[in-house]
Amino acid sequence: MNDHLSNDLLVDFVHRELSPADDAMAHAHLAGCVACREAYELEATLTEALRSAAKADEREFPSLVSAAVWDRIRHAEPGPFAKLAAWLRPAYALPVAAAVLIGGFFVSPLAHPAAHPTIAASYYLEAHAAQSAITPLSERSSSPALETSMIAPGSPRGQDDGAAAGAVDVVR
Amino acid sequence: MGEPRTPLEPPTPEQAAFLERAMTQYGKATYNFAYRLTGNEADARDLTQDAFVRVYRAWRSFSPGTSFLSWIYRIVTNLYRDELRRRKGRFQEEIPEDNAPQEFGGQRPLAVTPIDDFVDRQLSEPLSKALAQLSGDQRQVVVLADIEEYSYQEIAEIMGCSIGTVRSRLHRARALLRRLVERAQAQQER
Ligand SMILES: [Zn+2]
Repeated sequence: MNDHLSNDLLVDFVHRELSPADDAMAHAHLAGCVACREAYELEATLTEALRSAAKADEREFPSLVSAAVWDRIRHAEPGPFAKLAAWLRPAYALPVAAAVLIGGFFVSPLAHPAAHPTIAASYYLEAHAAQSAITPLSERSSSPALETSMIAPGSPRGQDDGAAAGAVDVVR
Repeated sequence: MGEPRTPLEPPTPEQAAFLERAMTQYGKATYNFAYRLTGNEADARDLTQDAFVRVYRAWRSFSPGTSFLSWIYRIVTNLYRDELRRRKGRFQEEIPEDNAPQEFGGQRPLAVTPIDDFVDRQLSEPLSKALAQLSGDQRQVVVLADIEEYSYQEIAEIMGCSIGTVRSRLHRARALLRRLVERAQAQQER
């Protein structure tokens, strides 16, 4: 084999996106070509670095966001949390302000279970378990917390399938 | 962000439970995805908030048994694209403008270096800066392929484009990132 592997082919190789024949060809070439192996190492290092940088910079889900979502659902107009979130924008979430805000949330009536729109957890989980029995879980993430796929409870499959056809319209 | 603040119907108990569970289980992943796309926390918060409001509105269109994460990533991707278009440019990055890989001070040539602390200490920051230089589409593909580890097929479904488009965007984005790393490598060897 005289031709070296192109960078684009190596990118596909690193991402395991080559056809079985091309994959085998790339493997064989890499085994005998130092230059291509170095190029491959660079691609693999790049991917590893991106992953590692993302992991090192991982953030927690701000409770301010879920409070603001509930706030928007309860009120047509942006409520206090949305306004506070907007007000905080230029400050890029000062930790002290956030702490005060979160503290305030927990003593506010919003934090009371009665005020929170809830459903009996048991009902929801039962519905989920029942659905899971007939629907294989398909979440692809490796994180155990994300293994479970979301199941819409109380909605017959046919209805959901019908709605799914229009999902693009709703989602876009 | 651009999400209209139109009145929302009061939630049914099932809808409220769906949203609550979605945020509890997928809030962090969604927020981090949004953060990687926008490069700053304020916009990531807005994007995540808008995405969950859409989840709330469209909760019945989610197909049980399919990946919720893919679904919400698709929502975030669409919102991000709309917002980019609206701003006719890019999001304000929190990282410095200067993209010169000055920080490289390691001793070993990159190509024969095992993936170790070099990656963590020397490459992370310049790579974050390089990511900021990519176009919105390229950035989405890199985040989905390299960080979230989706297949080209899955990325095509999330982004609503062909596999060929995913492939070519990724190739172009990686070529850009590669040039940066090679420049850094050259500085090292000096
Ligand atoms: Zn070769």
